[in-house]
Amino acid sequence: MIGCYDFCGHYEWTFGWFERVGGHALVRDYWNEAINHDSQRHARDLIRNGGIPGMLKYWGHTLAEESPSLGFNISHREDVFRIDFHDCPSRGFLLRNGLKNYGDYCDHCMGWTGPMLREAGYVIDHEHNHRGQCWWEMRPASATGGHAAPGSVAGDKDIRFNPAWPKDPAKLDRYTKANDPDDKMK
Amino acid sequence: MSNPAAPDLPYTDTKPQGSPDFYYGINATFRFMLQRLGMDGWRRYLEEMGRGYFAPVNRQWSQGGLTAVSRYWRAFFAAEPGAIVEVVEKPDRVEVRVHECPAIKHLRAGGREIVREYCQHCYFLGSARAEAAGLTMRLSGGSGSCCHTYARPDAGFALQDMAAIKEARS
Repeated sequence: MIGCYDFCGHYEWTFGWFERVGGHALVRDYWNEAINHDSQRHARDLIRNGGIPGMLKYWGHTLAEESPSLGFNISHREDVFRIDFHDCPSRGFLLRNGLKNYGDYCDHCMGWTGPMLREAGYVIDHEHNHRGQCWWEMRPASATGGHAAPGSVAGDKDIRFNPAWPKDPAKLDRYTKANDPDDKMK
Repeated sequence: MSNPAAPDLPYTDTKPQGSPDFYYGINATFRFMLQRLGMDGWRRYLEEMGRGYFAPVNRQWSQGGLTAVSRYWRAFFAAEPGAIVEVVEKPDRVEVRVHECPAIKHLRAGGREIVREYCQHCYFLGSARAEAAGLTMRLSGGSGSCCHTYARPDAGFALQDMAAIKEARS
């Protein structure tokens, strides 16, 4: 039986399998069709119907369940929803267990949430450092400009104030007002 | 830090049990594969996962025999929320008697359409893992309760009867 306890492990293994069998296009389709439109349809429904309060309801529940030690922080205002991951439970599982079967596991988050939020009318600013730390800001699709200044939404919980956050931008994968996993700027 | 309650699992987490909503992801993955790659593609995925991702477990079973098999399944189901399972070790086999499958239970509770072939994954995956460890595996039942049997080859089992694996009902 495939279980939920080590889900992140076989989920990551599956990305690599799909890429070998059907290339990057099949991985993208998997994130959008299987995860966004099927597995996580409860998230889609909450966010399409509820906007930012729907995001709070979805991520508030799912992150508390996945990360009881609260390795994350959620901030929100009327115009923005933000998550700072100081210790991502999903990426952390892979790092602790030495698992790697796919190029960049972290891409799966943009792979399914990007299309989901586009359908709900939002865009994403995001950076990840591949070490279980990242931040996300979701704003209405009419938003423009670059990333907001560190601390302007999450205060001192902003992961960019963490000493472990890379000072070298080359060590970060970055998205600006994006919805597509391939919109990555390195 | 890994979970000290799960020393018999090859990959461990900091929390004692998984998040059951991940069963939605497993069910959706199977549906996507069956639609895109068909039964042969799905079976190939499970067999390759059994030999690849689960290689550390297969080595444990190969080295530790049926005792390692029973220890693994006890630890495995202890980490799956909602499972009601009895693991019985006999001289030539281990029977994993699943009285309440945690995946089927959670998918039903969440109102999800369960892939009707869902229960076959336990056979395709389990038999590939057993073979890698020099064992055989058979499965009967399904759709919420079933029995997995892992045995030494000298147990002399007949070939798996696929009709003995029930379709999963939502």
